Amino acid sequence: MTGAVSGTAHAVYEQPSVALLARGLRKAYGATVALENADISLRSGVVHALLGENGAGKSTLVRILTGAVRSDSGTITLHGQPYAPATLIEARAQGVATAFQELSLVPNLTVAQNLLLPAMPRGPLGLVSSRRVIDAGAEILVRHGLERIDPSAQVGMLPLAERQRIEIVRAIENAGQMLILDEPTAALAETDWLFERIRLTTAKGVAVLYISHRLAEVREICTEATVLRNGRSIASVGLAQASDDDIFEMMVGRRVDQQARDRAAPTASADAARVSVSSLSGHGLNDISFDLRPGEILGLAALEGQGQRGLFRMLAGLEHPDKGQIAVDGTTAQLSSPRGALKAGSGIAYLPEERKTEGILAGLSAATNIILPVMPSASTAALISQQAEQSAARPAGQKVEMSPRYLGFAIGDLSGGNQQKALVARTLATGAKTLLLYDPTRGVDVGTKQSIYAAIRAFAAGGGSVLFYSSELPEVVQLADRCMVLYGGRLFRTFEGKAIAEQTLVAAMLGHGSNEGALDR
Amino acid sequence: MAQDVGQDTNLAQSGDTRTSARVSRETISAATVAILCVVLLLGARFVSPALGSWSQVETVLVLGFFLVILSFGQGLVILSGGLDLSLPATITLGGILATSWVGAENPAAWYYLPVVLGVCGLVGMVSGIGVVWLRVPPFIMTMAMSIIVASALLGYTKGTPRGAAPDAAVAMMKSHILGLPVPVVVLIGLVLLGWVFQSRTIFGRYIYAVGTNIEAARIAGVPVAAMQILPYVLSAICAGFVGIALVGYSNGATLRMGDGYLLPSIASVVIGGSSILGGSGTFLGTVGGAILLTTLGTIISALGLEFGLRTVIEGSIVLIALLLLREELFQKLRSVWR
Repeated sequence: MTGAVSGTAHAVYEQPSVALLARGLRKAYGATVALENADISLRSGVVHALLGENGAGKSTLVRILTGAVRSDSGTITLHGQPYAPATLIEARAQGVATAFQELSLVPNLTVAQNLLLPAMPRGPLGLVSSRRVIDAGAEILVRHGLERIDPSAQVGMLPLAERQRIEIVRAIENAGQMLILDEPTAALAETDWLFERIRLTTAKGVAVLYISHRLAEVREICTEATVLRNGRSIASVGLAQASDDDIFEMMVGRRVDQQARDRAAPTASADAARVSVSSLSGHGLNDISFDLRPGEILGLAALEGQGQRGLFRMLAGLEHPDKGQIAVDGTTAQLSSPRGALKAGSGIAYLPEERKTEGILAGLSAATNIILPVMPSASTAALISQQAEQSAARPAGQKVEMSPRYLGFAIGDLSGGNQQKALVARTLATGAKTLLLYDPTRGVDVGTKQSIYAAIRAFAAGGGSVLFYSSELPEVVQLADRCMVLYGGRLFRTFEGKAIAEQTLVAAMLGHGSNEGALDR
Repeated sequence: MAQDVGQDTNLAQSGDTRTSARVSRETISAATVAILCVVLLLGARFVSPALGSWSQVETVLVLGFFLVILSFGQGLVILSGGLDLSLPATITLGGILATSWVGAENPAAWYYLPVVLGVCGLVGMVSGIGVVWLRVPPFIMTMAMSIIVASALLGYTKGTPRGAAPDAAVAMMKSHILGLPVPVVVLIGLVLLGWVFQSRTIFGRYIYAVGTNIEAARIAGVPVAAMQILPYVLSAICAGFVGIALVGYSNGATLRMGDGYLLPSIASVVIGGSSILGGSGTFLGTVGGAILLTTLGTIISALGLEFGLRTVIEGSIVLIALLLLREELFQKLRSVWR
């Protein structure tokens, strides 16, 4: 085992102890290229970090390595042998095991059963022996310092942190050659136990791929890292040689200069807040307070799962906060449904995250989809014709530069870009003065993006307020007058005007640098 | 993300054919059903000269009256993503209230009949509330309501319904106007009303939205709870109306008068091209399905077959019709026509 850190990626490839070597991996889902060209090399007994922004291709790479999907092209070798698992079981048979971020335990089976699946110890009659299963499970738990967990307990009844530990233990038990840990600390309060397990695993010569958004953690346990950006592996580096700034730059690239903000700094608005959020908690959020003012475009930047979805859903009336208040136009509002949110004060309209499952109504026409929230005002005594719908939908459609001839088509037959335009038009057609836009340009082409940006800016210029989350940093930089960064469910930092730049945002998103509020850890 | 651009231009080019394709699918669906009806009626002539005449068409329409109205309600419930198994009990409720209450006390008091419909509507509302707020699966909830209502009727009538049909019900089912049977005229009026409701009102749109994707409809600000309950209420009112009409047609109520209508009501909706999972289909398709099923039933019973054999043939034809009228067939037809 060589624990030494190598200076460059190429030096790494020459080491004799390479465990897994992947070259030129590519994977496309339909028209969307998730992974363009990724190389990675893992060495036995070394913890290797995989870093990248949202959508850089980390998950896709992990899915290929675990056998969940097959790459379109590229080669992988495991200790010199070709490695192309078609299923998770096949990968595991070759000694590659994964602890998934979303956990892959069966909730209604016991801890011991989960640890031993699929091969259960049998009794004399060839039937599964529950006593032997529990004994074997207990033995595994003891070996990993988890005596406190009852092997006969149902997994679903355990706290999330314990479930995550069981997921990790199971992966370690099955990882003869390579262990993949996808965000293993997402539910763990401290890392001591995990890092000790990882060190014992690497001591046996197992290669570890470690995916985490937390750079401090990565520096503590990993010796080298591969950075992905836009589906390409940008670099493989020894972590001892790379500063945090180097890593941020590799993650973001040099786009910062080209994509500079093309607007004047916003004039500080002295108006009263249109939406005022105070000490909001629940659904992944922890004590968030902020004001959204008329005419303001407020951006929200965060890595996945930092509570942004909870925030939007609470503001849209889809979830109830555990604590805290939301005031619209100075009056405390009880937002109990999206319909209620539309009617609260000057109105809040929500563009949901998932276009297909939460947004469009596929069989209905684009016009119906656009005017659905305001259908009564487009109708005469509850009667409505397609012509009436189309003329009611046309003004909102024009704001997003949607061709009027699409209005009559079933929205499910339109392209993703036009569907998204229609959904943005729907929020504009409601007449609400506050828009909540969750990833407003997800998966749309450049032209559609510009149309949507123009519509958002025009809306704000007309006195409307916009809160938007984007998984793409350039979008935040381009659009936002002010930008909040969520980290671990808390409001980590807020940037204004010229201070909104990709590298500073990335640093804050990774929980790096000084912050205004308290930091979780 | 430039890969979306190419796709968009392709769509734009093929764009103009899409509405016509969509229209033709619905036309094909209705046309297929109508052609099947005509073929069946004409074909029946070869079997027996008494069949296929104009008077038989009238008979089919009068008999189809009940199924068309029931299928409107059932169709709305299915469109919203539910299922109404309480139709037989609600039909019986309407019929028994019309005879044992209105008919027995004052047969001329037509103005009590809307009250009967209101009672039936309440039954539907309870089903709807159970489905929406108590989250009971639709078929359990409506089956439970069905058992409760049927048992209550058994207790109320002590096993033998008394009374007679209200005058208004008899008048509606037995008289002629301009040479046409009144039920046929009423049916045409109700079909128009149902078509307007389902495809030309905001309620119809809301129900389509709820049945397509309830989560997306909620986010779009549709009053989803009300739009899930409304179909059950309307379905129960339709069933109550059919109960009253049946009483007028046969001059009396029985405790099992609604039993034969449940499966045909569902079959009409599905044969008419609606998805059993909700969110798609047209009322005119459903009307076609109901008429087709009624035609079939009339011909088979005119052939004088044994009851068992009749049911076997009826079931097989429904199955074949469903297989034939599936979405794939329309796609194939469309591609051939292009």
